Amino acid sequence: MQDAVFDELADLALKGSGQSIPKSKSYLIEARLSPIARREGFGTMDDLVHCLKSRANPVFAAECAAALVSKDTWFFRDREMLHRLVNEILPARLKAGNTGRLKIWVAGGSTGQEALSIAMLLEDELPASLRGAKIDILSTDICKVTTERARAGRYGHYEVQKGLSVHRLVKHFTRMETGQWEAAEPLRSRISFRQHNLLESAAGLGKFDVILCRNVLSGMDRTARIRVIENITAQLMPGGVILLGQGEGLIGLTDQLEPARDIRGAWVAAGTAARDASAA
Amino acid sequence: MKTCLIVDDSRVVRKVAARIVKDLRFAVSEASDGAEALAQCRKQMPDAVLLDWNMPVMNGLDFLRALRREEGGKKPLVLFCSIETDAEHINEAIRSGADEFIMKPFDAEILESKFAEVGLV
Repeated sequence: MQDAVFDELADLALKGSGQSIPKSKSYLIEARLSPIARREGFGTMDDLVHCLKSRANPVFAAECAAALVSKDTWFFRDREMLHRLVNEILPARLKAGNTGRLKIWVAGGSTGQEALSIAMLLEDELPASLRGAKIDILSTDICKVTTERARAGRYGHYEVQKGLSVHRLVKHFTRMETGQWEAAEPLRSRISFRQHNLLESAAGLGKFDVILCRNVLSGMDRTARIRVIENITAQLMPGGVILLGQGEGLIGLTDQLEPARDIRGAWVAAGTAARDASAA
Repeated sequence: MKTCLIVDDSRVVRKVAARIVKDLRFAVSEASDGAEALAQCRKQMPDAVLLDWNMPVMNGLDFLRALRREEGGKKPLVLFCSIETDAEHINEAIRSGADEFIMKPFDAEILESKFAEVGLV
C-alpha cells in the first residue's frame, strides 16, 4: 500500500472511530476494508481512496471508518471479570438501587459474544441475590454490519469454539443447515443491539448501572480515549461501575473516575472509594 | 508433565495435533484406533485424550464407553474431536462421557481454548 493511501485511510480511521493504526499494521486496513472494496467494485485501495476524496459521501466514509475498527472478540473473554460482574457487582448495584432493575451497557460490543456471555451466566448461574431482578443488556457497536450480525446471533464454526464450552453450546445454540450456530431466543431476547459511535454523545441510550467498555480504548489515540471516557461516564448512574479490559488504565486521562476498591479493571466516580472506606 | 493421548486414524491429524499439544507442555503419545488407545490406557492412564470419532477396529465412541468402565478410566479428560458436528452427535459424545467436543477442522487457538475449558491449561 502506498504511503499516501495509508495516510488517507489511517486519518479516516482516526477521525471517524478514534482508531490509531500504525504504519506497521497497514495490512489491517487492507483486510478490514477489502469486503467493502469488493462490494463497491474497487480493484485497489487506491481506487477506494480516490472515491472517498472525489465525492463527499459522509455515509460511505463513516462505513469505511467503522469497518476499520477491530472486531476481535470471543465468548467468555476474561471469565473472572464476568463472574465478578454477575456475582458481586450486579448484586451490589441491585441492593443500592432499590428499584429491582439493572441496566448493563456493553460499549463496543462487536458481534455480541460479550453480551451473550453475560446473558448465559444470568441464565445458568444466577445468584440468589439477583432473583426477580429485571436485567436489561444493551450491546452497541460502531459498525452497522457488525451490529446486524450481533442481532442475528449466528456464529461460525471457529467463533463458537473460542471460549464457549460444548455444554453451553448445545444448551444455548441451535445448529443451522448452513453449519452456523444460532443463539437461542431466550438469550437474544435479553439483549438489545444498537449501532452507536462511542465518539458521539450516548445521551440517547440512557443511564446504566454497569458499562463494559473492554478492549476498546487500547486501539484508540489519547484524544479519542478521553472523548469516549467522557461520553460513557456521562451515562453512568450514581454509584455505577465501568469495566475496562486488562491493561486499559485511565490514569492521566480523566479525573472523573478512579479505580474501584478490590475489583481489578473496575472504575467508579471519583470520591466513591474514599466514601466506601469511611462508611466501612 | 501432563500427558495427552491423541487417537486418530489420520497420521497427518495426529502429527498436527501433537505439535499443538506439545506446545501446551504435554507429553504426547499416539494411537491410530480405539483398541490401540485402550491398550495404552490400560498400561497408563493419560491426563487427557484427544479422540477422533470415525476410526477402524474400534471407533471413538466405543473406546470412550470402554475407557469409562476401566479402573481409573474416569480420570482422563476426554476431548472428542470430530467432523460429526450436529447436536445429536455432540450430545451422544457427552452422554458417553466426553468432557469437551472439538469440531474439525480446528486450529491451535481452538485446541488451547478447549483445553482451558476443561482446566487442562
